[in-house]
Amino acid sequence: MGFFTYDISKYPPAHMVALPLVLLGLSLIFLSFNTLTTGLPVDPGIDFAGGVGVTVFTPDSKEVLEEYFAGFPLRSVGESINDGKYMVFEQLDEEQFRALTARIEERYPDAGIDQIGETFGKTLQSQALLALLFSFAGMSVVVFVAFRTVIPSIAVVLSAFSDIVITAAFMNVLGISLTLGTTAALLMLIGYSVDSDILLTSKLLKRKGKLDEKLEGAFRTGVIMTTTTLTAVAAMFVVSSLGQIIIIRDISVVLLIGLVVDLMNTWMLNSGLLKWYLTASKGGVK
Amino acid sequence: MSNSTLRAVFSDWRVVLMTVLVAFSLISIYFVPLSFDQGVTGNLQLGLDLEGGAWIQLGFNSEVVRFDTDRDASSFAADLGERLDAEVLLVDEDRLEIRKFYTQEELEAAFEEAGGTVVAYERGVSESTADDIKRILEDKINSLGTRDAKVNTLSGMSGVTKYIRIELAGADIATAQDIVGTQGKFEIRIQTTGNATEHVLFGDAITSVSTPSRGPGSNLWGVGFTLNDEGAQAFRNAALTYGAVDNPEAHELVMLLDDNIVYSAPLSPNLAGDLRVSTVRSLSASTGVGDEGLKEAKNLEIHLRAGALPVDVFIAGSGYVPAALGEHFKTMSILAGIIALLAVGVVVYYRYREPLIVLPMIGTNIAEIVILLGIARFIQQLDLAAIAGIIAVLGTGIDQLVIITDEVLHEGGIPSPNLYQKRLLRALGIIVVAASTTVIAMLPLALMDLSSLRGFAIVTILGVLIGVFITRPAYGKVIMALLSR
Repeated sequence: MGFFTYDISKYPPAHMVALPLVLLGLSLIFLSFNTLTTGLPVDPGIDFAGGVGVTVFTPDSKEVLEEYFAGFPLRSVGESINDGKYMVFEQLDEEQFRALTARIEERYPDAGIDQIGETFGKTLQSQALLALLFSFAGMSVVVFVAFRTVIPSIAVVLSAFSDIVITAAFMNVLGISLTLGTTAALLMLIGYSVDSDILLTSKLLKRKGKLDEKLEGAFRTGVIMTTTTLTAVAAMFVVSSLGQIIIIRDISVVLLIGLVVDLMNTWMLNSGLLKWYLTASKGGVK
Repeated sequence: MSNSTLRAVFSDWRVVLMTVLVAFSLISIYFVPLSFDQGVTGNLQLGLDLEGGAWIQLGFNSEVVRFDTDRDASSFAADLGERLDAEVLLVDEDRLEIRKFYTQEELEAAFEEAGGTVVAYERGVSESTADDIKRILEDKINSLGTRDAKVNTLSGMSGVTKYIRIELAGADIATAQDIVGTQGKFEIRIQTTGNATEHVLFGDAITSVSTPSRGPGSNLWGVGFTLNDEGAQAFRNAALTYGAVDNPEAHELVMLLDDNIVYSAPLSPNLAGDLRVSTVRSLSASTGVGDEGLKEAKNLEIHLRAGALPVDVFIAGSGYVPAALGEHFKTMSILAGIIALLAVGVVVYYRYREPLIVLPMIGTNIAEIVILLGIARFIQQLDLAAIAGIIAVLGTGIDQLVIITDEVLHEGGIPSPNLYQKRLLRALGIIVVAASTTVIAMLPLALMDLSSLRGFAIVTILGVLIGVFITRPAYGKVIMALLSR
C-alpha cells in the first residue's frame, strides 16, 4: 500500500506503545469521569434508558417536527441527507405513548416506531453488561489457551481491551449513545480486533526467521485485512445512513471507529509489546 | 479453464461440499417450496422490521419468590395471600408466585411477619402461568382475525418468565396496543349479605365465549360462555354455600372488570335447579331485549374475552414498522450487502491485481453467505440485526481469505504442493484461533435473551463456523489449483 508510510520495523518498542497507552489512559479517565457524574461510562440510548425512537421520511424540517410534537418530550431530531429523520423522545407512560402514536399516525402514517420502557431498558442494560464481560473473558481464555505464553497473550488481551475503551470514549465525544446495536458492535470489535492480533502473534512467535521481516510480513497482511473490513463497514455505513436504518448505522459507525483504533492498537501497542518481549527474552538487541 | 484444473479443484472434498451446500441452499430458499412469488428473499423468514408489522413486549406485575419457612408451605402461602391482599400461588415446594407488584423489601417484611424468609426474588411469572397467558393472548389475537401472529415467552435462566412478546405481521401499533393495552382483570363474585360479595372465579376459568345470541323463541339477548372444571366447581360451590340456589334474588352474580361492575344478575330458576344436582359448565348471561340488549351483549362479550389474563401486565416495549418502510429496509439491506461486496472486491483487486485470486475470493464470500442464508432459513428469522451479522461475516470472511492468500503465496511464488499444504495448514491454524474468539465473544449474546441481538449473534456464529470448516479451506484448495496451472 503506497500511501501508507509506517515503517513498522524501524521504531523501538517504547515509541510504539507510547501513543496507544496515552490514549488508553485518557479514555479510561474520561470514562471514569462519566461514570462518576452520570452513573454510566457511556450515554445510554433508548434501548437502555427507555424512550421512543421514530424513523420517518419527510421533507418537514426539524423545526416543523419540533412544533408538531410540542406536547411531547422530544429529546433530539437527527437528520440525514435524503429527508430521513430520526426523533428520540424521553420515557413516556402508556397513556402518553398511545397519544404520541396517534399523533404520529395522523401526520406520518409511514413512520417506524420503537419504544422501550424504563424497566425493560434496565434489564437490557444489565444483560448487555454481562454479555460484554463474558465475551471478553471468553476471548481472553481462548487467547491464553492458543498461545500458552503469558506476555504475548496479555498483549493481545490488552490491545482488545484498549480497542473497546478508546472506541467507547470516542462514542462519547461524538455523541453516539450505547444501544443494542452499538453494544453488538463493541462485541464484534472483540472478534475483529483479535483477528489481526492473532495473525501478528502467531507469525512472530511460531515462525522462524528475522523478527523485522516477520513483523513486516504480518503488517502487510494485517493492514490489507483491516482495510477490506473497513471498506465493507464503510459501505454498510453509507447505505444505512442514506436508508435511515438506525441499528445498522449505529453498528457500522462504531465499527469504523473501532477498526481504526484497532489498527493503532495492533501495530503499535501489540507489536511494540511483542517486539520488546522477543528482543528482551533473547538477551538483548539483535 | 482446462479440464485438469477443474478436476484438481473438485478433487477436494471441501470444495465438493461447498458446491453441494450452495446448491442445497439455493434450492431451499427458492424451490422447496417454490417461492418465486416471494421475490428475491424467497423462503427466508423475515423479521418484522423487514416485513412490516407491530410488536409489543409485556412485563408482569407479579413476582416469583423462592422462600424458606418452617411452616407448611400451602398454609404459609394462604397466610401471605391475606397479608398482601394478593393471589399467592405455590409454584413448587419452595417457590411462590405473587400476583401483584411488590418490591423485594416489601415482601421481605411480609414474609418475616408470616414466619418465613425470602431466598430469591424475581419479577415475572411461573412457566405454567406464562403458558396460560400465552394461550389466552393467542386466543384473543385469533378472535380479532389477525392473520400472522407470534406469541413468545422470554424466560431467564431460573425458569421464571419475565416477558411475553407478541409479533403481529402486517398490523399497526394501535392494533397491538388494543390487544393488550385494554387488558383488564375479570372476576365473578357472588353477593353474600347486603352489598358484601365473595370471590367465585377469575377470567382464566372461562374457556370460551360465544357471540351474542337469542334463545329459541325468545327476544332476550345473551352471551354464552363455558367454564373449565375447576371454574364450574367453584361456581357451584359458591351458589350452594351462599344460598343462591334457594334464593337467587338475594345472591346476585356480579362480574367485574378491573374491579368495576360490568354485569350483575341473579341465577335463573332453571340454572339454580341444575346446580342443585351437578356442576354446569355452559352458562349464559342475558342482557336484555331489542337493540339495547344486543349492544349490551356485545359489550359483555368483549369484557368476558378481555378479562382473561390472570396477572396484570405492563408494556415493556413496543414497535411498529409500516410495510412500506420494511420494504425500504429490505431493499437497502440488499443494496448494502452488494455494495460492501463490490467495495471489498475493489480493495482486494488493488492489492493482488490477479483475477485468479480476486474472483475465487469474492466467489467464496458469496458462497459463504448463500450457505449461511440457506441454513438460517430453517432456524433463524432475519431481521436488521441479523443482516448486520451477515455483513460482519462478510468482513471476517475476507479478512481470513487474505490471511490464507498471503500465507500460501509467501514471497509471491507458488510453492510446491507439499510446502503449499504446510502453509495452508498454518494459515488455517491462525484462522481457527481467530474464529474461536469470535464465536466465544458472540456466545453470550446468542444464549442470553437480549431480544433483537440474538439473531445477530446466531448468524455471526453460524457464518464463522461455515467459513472455518468449509468455505475458507475450500478457497485454499481452489486458488492452489488455479495458480499452479
